[in-house]
Amino acid sequence: MPDLPVATIPGHVDLQSEEQLQDNVDTVLVRGIIESLTVQPAETKQATEPGPGSIVFRGTLDEVNSFFQAEGWSDGLPIIPPTVEKAEKFLRYTTRPADTVLGVLLPGRREATVWNVAVNGVMAGCRPEYMPVLVAIVEAMADPKFGQEHLGQTPGTEVLVTINGPIIKDLDFNYGQGALRVGFQANTSIGRFWRLYLRNVAGFLPHKTDKATFGGTWRVVLAENEDALAHIAWEPMSVDQGFKTGDNVVTINSCTSTDCLVNVGADRAEDILDRLATRLVDVQIWMFAISLKGPSLRPQILITPCLAEALARGGYTKKKIRQHLYERARFSARRFEYLRPDVGSLCDAVKRGKLPRHYCESENPDRLVPIVGSPDDFLITVSGDTGKDNILICAQNGFIGYPTSKRIDLPEDWERFIAEARRQITSQPTQGVGRW
Amino acid sequence: MEGVYAVTWPRGSRRATPGLSCAPRLDSLEGKTVCEAWNGVFRGDEIFPMIEKELRRRYQGIRFVGYDRFGLTGGGEGAKAVASLPERLREYSCDAVISGVGG
Repeated sequence: MPDLPVATIPGHVDLQSEEQLQDNVDTVLVRGIIESLTVQPAETKQATEPGPGSIVFRGTLDEVNSFFQAEGWSDGLPIIPPTVEKAEKFLRYTTRPADTVLGVLLPGRREATVWNVAVNGVMAGCRPEYMPVLVAIVEAMADPKFGQEHLGQTPGTEVLVTINGPIIKDLDFNYGQGALRVGFQANTSIGRFWRLYLRNVAGFLPHKTDKATFGGTWRVVLAENEDALAHIAWEPMSVDQGFKTGDNVVTINSCTSTDCLVNVGADRAEDILDRLATRLVDVQIWMFAISLKGPSLRPQILITPCLAEALARGGYTKKKIRQHLYERARFSARRFEYLRPDVGSLCDAVKRGKLPRHYCESENPDRLVPIVGSPDDFLITVSGDTGKDNILICAQNGFIGYPTSKRIDLPEDWERFIAEARRQITSQPTQGVGRW
Repeated sequence: MEGVYAVTWPRGSRRATPGLSCAPRLDSLEGKTVCEAWNGVFRGDEIFPMIEKELRRRYQGIRFVGYDRFGLTGGGEGAKAVASLPERLREYSCDAVISGVGG
């Protein structure tokens, strides 16, 4: 509804005293509200658009890129020209018809279809055999649980896409050193696809519908090191999300900020975890304080294989780690009150229904309360350099939605297709892919 | 010779409801029921009472239904709140809705 009236307040509300805010509401905002509710806006006619499969331009590589950039369909990097022939090659790797609607994405209210997944996959530089992953990603994007419509928010949240299952090796995802670095086609091009799709189909554009303060670039797709997991009898993250070991699964999780804990190794597993717990609070507490959405936070923690092995030797499973973090990643009520004097105490927030009751078990300001709502709110992924003792925390912000996982459906002849595709691929250095 | 590419449209068809545009505006806010929807951010809990106070000053008989009746429209549970809005707005006989706060 492009003609929906909007009333505004001058400046930023966070920088205004109560008196300034009152004055701006009385003198500016309310006038805008009255006009919005009583003056009929002029109806905006939507321009006629091409349809799926329409040819919109003919030109050289440079001309195509200039055209797509001018139309707002490019992310600023050169795209692969999406010809119909190229897109049709992607369709071979899905059982779904091209016109299958996977969902309707906001803010543009446009249909996400198998066809436009293929077109944007071409543009991003994906290989056709990545199509099953791309389809699963968009299914997850379109799931209301994830809340993709909030991705245009101020923090400029970018998403972490995690892959589990044998498809990691089928498509040569990197899951070792540099697991989140560009340079490996599957990890990199699929990560780029995510943001291109948000632009072209969901409709998030900077200076228009994408309100990110700074924003950030799309994230390289993360693949979990399932060899390392098998070595220590830990389950993949996909199992925590409700699937079975061996299922091909994609999980998307909003990840507003990241923090790398360097050299957290210790000879006692508990010491490793306590270091992590301390930093988790530091990284998440501001989100907790400004949103009061502790129960909505879903931090994702990336642990290297050698740290995972050390924790396993100390008797820890992923479940025990989550429980330990729930009990130890805590902050004092006093610290919250220092950050949010405008809210009052945690007990005030509980009385107003903003937090669950266990945040006010007493009025003691030194009591410790958890950073998340339950142990299951932590996501744990094993990946990265096998020999380094670093941890990456992916801090969620609780304003979007929840981590969402989808099965990656493969066509019947997948094994044959992959064998054919491999014959066409120029070999990559195997030491970069990830070994345990 | 450089290749020429015939390229296809990368977007999706709009799923618009035909003929949907802004509802007819009100002639006045006097005696009307104005409902509030809040996404939980940007001091909406302070701003909405300020709006109510000023509009009550200007319009006789104006009535408000607070955002707490509808659930927060942002955050993890926001989708549920938004989905239930049409029915809830009818339930409270809302003549108008003020939804905020965007940034």
